[in-house]
Amino acid sequence: MATESIKYAAPDTETKLETKVFPRPGQHTSGIVDWLTTIDHKKIGMMYGLTALFFLLIGGVEALLIRSQLWSHNMDVLTNRQYNQMFTMHGTTMVFLVIMPLSAAFFNYLMPLQIGARDVAFPRMNALSLWCFVAGGLILNLSWFFTGGSPAIGWFGYAPLTDTRFAEVIGDMGPDFWIFSLQMLGLASLLASFNFITTIINMRAPGMTMMRMPVFTWMTLIVSFLIILAFPAITIALVELMFDRTYDTNFYDFLEGGKPHLWQHLFWIFGHPEVYILILPAMGIVSEVIPVFSRKPLFGYGLIIFSGAIIGFMGFAVWSHHMFTTGMGVVATSAFSILTMLIAIPTGIKIFNWIGTMWGGRIRFDTPMLFALGFITMFMIGGFTGIMHSSVPIDAQHQDSYFVVAHFHYVLIGGALFGLFCGFYFWIPKMSGRMLNESLGKLVFTLMFIGFNLTFFPMHYLGMIGQPRRTHSYNEGHGFETWNQIATIGSAILGVGIAIGIFQFINAFFNKKLKPAGKNPWDARTLEWTLSSPVREYNFARNPIIKSRDQAWENNYGAKENHSEKEPLDDHGVHMPDRSWYPLLTAFGLFVLVIGMLFHASIGPAGELVRDYTVAICGGTIAIFGIIMWSLEGPAGYHLFPKENEE
Amino acid sequence: MTITHHISKISPKLVLIVNTIFLALLSSCSRVDHKQSALDPKGLVSQNQYDIFMLSVWITIFLFCAVGGCLLYVLWKYRAKSKEEAMEVPEQMHGNSKVETTLILVSAVILVILAVPTLQGVVLMNRVPDPNDTATLEKLKLDKSQIEDAITVNVTGKRFFWVFEYPQYGIVTANELVFPASKAVRVNLRTEDVIHSFWLPKLAGKMDLMPGQENFLWFIADEDKIRKGIDPDGNPYNVDAKVAMPSVFNGEMRETIFTKQAFTDEFEAVGGLFYGQCAEYCGNSHAYMSFRALAQTDEDFDKWVLKFRNAQNPNLQPSAYMSESKYSKGDIVTFSDSTIGENVTREYRAVKVANKGQTPSTQPKSWEKVHSDDYEKGKILFGTQGCAQCHAINKTGLGAKGPNLTLFGLRTSLAAGWMRNDEESLDKWLRNSNEVKFGNLMWNGEGVDDRHPLRQLEDDDEKVSQLVTYLLGLK
Repeated sequence: MATESIKYAAPDTETKLETKVFPRPGQHTSGIVDWLTTIDHKKIGMMYGLTALFFLLIGGVEALLIRSQLWSHNMDVLTNRQYNQMFTMHGTTMVFLVIMPLSAAFFNYLMPLQIGARDVAFPRMNALSLWCFVAGGLILNLSWFFTGGSPAIGWFGYAPLTDTRFAEVIGDMGPDFWIFSLQMLGLASLLASFNFITTIINMRAPGMTMMRMPVFTWMTLIVSFLIILAFPAITIALVELMFDRTYDTNFYDFLEGGKPHLWQHLFWIFGHPEVYILILPAMGIVSEVIPVFSRKPLFGYGLIIFSGAIIGFMGFAVWSHHMFTTGMGVVATSAFSILTMLIAIPTGIKIFNWIGTMWGGRIRFDTPMLFALGFITMFMIGGFTGIMHSSVPIDAQHQDSYFVVAHFHYVLIGGALFGLFCGFYFWIPKMSGRMLNESLGKLVFTLMFIGFNLTFFPMHYLGMIGQPRRTHSYNEGHGFETWNQIATIGSAILGVGIAIGIFQFINAFFNKKLKPAGKNPWDARTLEWTLSSPVREYNFARNPIIKSRDQAWENNYGAKENHSEKEPLDDHGVHMPDRSWYPLLTAFGLFVLVIGMLFHASIGPAGELVRDYTVAICGGTIAIFGIIMWSLEGPAGYHLFPKENEE
Repeated sequence: MTITHHISKISPKLVLIVNTIFLALLSSCSRVDHKQSALDPKGLVSQNQYDIFMLSVWITIFLFCAVGGCLLYVLWKYRAKSKEEAMEVPEQMHGNSKVETTLILVSAVILVILAVPTLQGVVLMNRVPDPNDTATLEKLKLDKSQIEDAITVNVTGKRFFWVFEYPQYGIVTANELVFPASKAVRVNLRTEDVIHSFWLPKLAGKMDLMPGQENFLWFIADEDKIRKGIDPDGNPYNVDAKVAMPSVFNGEMRETIFTKQAFTDEFEAVGGLFYGQCAEYCGNSHAYMSFRALAQTDEDFDKWVLKFRNAQNPNLQPSAYMSESKYSKGDIVTFSDSTIGENVTREYRAVKVANKGQTPSTQPKSWEKVHSDDYEKGKILFGTQGCAQCHAINKTGLGAKGPNLTLFGLRTSLAAGWMRNDEESLDKWLRNSNEVKFGNLMWNGEGVDDRHPLRQLEDDDEKVSQLVTYLLGLK
């Protein structure tokens, strides 16, 4: 692209420390090695996104199988165990392998661009996060091929159903795969979050004060804090569960004095903030898109950020509303009920402010805006049913019925997924340099909107007339058939919409016939839109000096003193780091460690239990070797010299 | 022009299709009696839950219309009508703290409207009112005796069925909870394996059965509501308590359900029959873990209790014939009968006074066989096929692995409420229960493998029919 204008530095001074084992691939690396060893936040973001979209297809097929099994009473599409595996895998996949990594993809790609940074604070750690995520997804789905097949314990894995004592297949390995996969995914999320927090706190461009940061970056910061505070709870819960299953400890085994309640508390202390981890990024995206397509700044910027922070904070104080029916007593249930109702207020504020943003604007209905509006309305419905559940007596009927299924799909598809699709339609021109086909985009929105509502609206009613969740079959005579059939048809429409959408996103990177996007096709407002599309590998040729909140907009329409400036060019040029093999190697070591742990136990010739940790120790050694070499391999790198007029 | 032409051509067809779909939906709604619907509360607690739910529905509909209407207005009013307008720069305002504050306060007030009944509801669900607290009882329209004479049921969840123990009466049954419609029912919930959840939508909402702890819920049915209903044509009706709640103890309930209530969409409801379901995922057969609750008038409930107590009273079981005893008319003894097998006994009833030494074999005219040969053979099979290892009959058998089968012939359902308890279903169930209810522990439990006699029944017509006769004869 811009190679001609760049002079190359001689590879002299900074490559001295370079190691002989897996040396850092240099500037001209291309093809598969480039993708495997890259530490560029944009490429890592794209790989995050692509992998997550692939898992979205897998999770979607699982959902469609679930829906076809429920087409009518006593269907035989799946056996009950297969069905139970499907909903377990569907839930785990969609939460940990789709929505979270899709958000991570946007965090990775956009956050450094929005704050005027060249990369995240720890680029190689960022790559490790990606490969841990890929390994985690692989481990979870490998479970299909081993004893017992995939886990059939639900995405919440309630003890004591996870105990080996209650396994329904002898030697069932599903839950073990599930435990280790979640640990890997947790590691990936934690690594990424520490990285993002450090980046946002330390690497903002001059003049980019906290209160000038784009809302999406703010949400990245809040979500990263939620992750580092919430994941330790599930990490501990999973370690204890692993010990229960592998070494016969008694954390959750009530027959030996363990406490199944403990699992629920630990799981939901993680699980409820997790809900906000899933939805806040989408809210951030929508808060970026609505001002652009209304041509007005975000109404109540401070309040939107503050309410996001409050939602995140209060997210840690409401976990027990998932446990209203577990017999916590009058006082605890009442307290959690009231706290849960309170969380509706900051959520409502966001919606008011989005409408306030549109008020008095010039509203355009391009595809991103349609998804943003879909988000607002669908999320509103999900929020309202959420208020219903916050009332304990209502929850006594709703809990574990299809009403709850409807509720959280309104939040997670109508909310999170619509928000993320909104982000794709909005930012893919920036990522690929090409505009997406507008009519195809509108078709995708229409299909998704109609399909989604057809699928999930009837579930409210189904729940009220008594269809319980997680049941592979229902008897005739309950009147469930008609509504389930509508839902199944809807899910097929939704599936088609999503599939076309995914095709469209990937196509944008390859189809040369699409219209070029240019720097700022939407006349958008934030800093990343001052850069060329696609963004150059060094992001900013010269450090920007930020003067106002919506910098791209101010540069076009604002007063002269609000225009951003650039730091002068110097002889040093842009220092780019070399790629590295060690993040990949470390993640591979961890993968081998997990496989070694999963298969360490076997039955010896005399029927005794044999534990063999060779493979696990090898894996651990590889990982430690990777980390040590990583810290020794030195910075290396090369210099680029962009021209005066380049962004 | 062409487009409008097109639409006018399509529209009658479209209207027809839409109408058909709409009518189909509407009619399917009106015909179906939603057996397990929380929208049709028949008790005090569930009515309270329903009322709060409807309050929340109206609040949220109001909010949705208000906010959504506002959104629509904004979208319409401020839409860019042309390409030029889309490029205009409107006034760049950043917020309005007065508007924000007002909206926050309004939302808080709306939440209070929901919070107050919620807190009242929490107390109602968790605590049976004090029978001496006349003010509360009056408010709830309850009579003191309804609370004072409350019955207690200890529910134990097992994969994948329910044990119902009545500690006041010392009886144990399974999968069908018989209760007096006019009395409060206290339900203590425990489990012996994983978590289950007791969900009885029309009466009580739900509460989990947590391992290692005892949970509680209570309910009280509303007799007036049990007697009322809507027939298949949509007309409301109001029947006698006896009609709405046929007696369980003499099998009337079972017969009525079989004649009135087909497993199809169209049927006439039996008011006293309630459907419940396990609502917490508990393993392979979770979907099949349902149960029923049968409301009874006080008189019928007492009769049922008496019959059940007698059946499970070890002192009232027929004893072996003793040659020194004299038997009066109606006495039942067990005595050997070589026609049905070696070294086996069967039950005989004295039809007139039987003096010393007048055994059923020496004096057949004084004795009659209480049960048919098939019944007696079935009873023997019940022991020899391994059934009795897990199922208790005519004893409380708490801790047994399988459901208690005392007076099984009075049960309306089979396999934890999944099938109708008739000859056909029972036959199918006994031959291969795994095909009916995959993963059930009768087929898959500990110690059951292909050599187990239970798994040999599939092609053994004779044995199956004898077992069916025996089990359904228990009434």
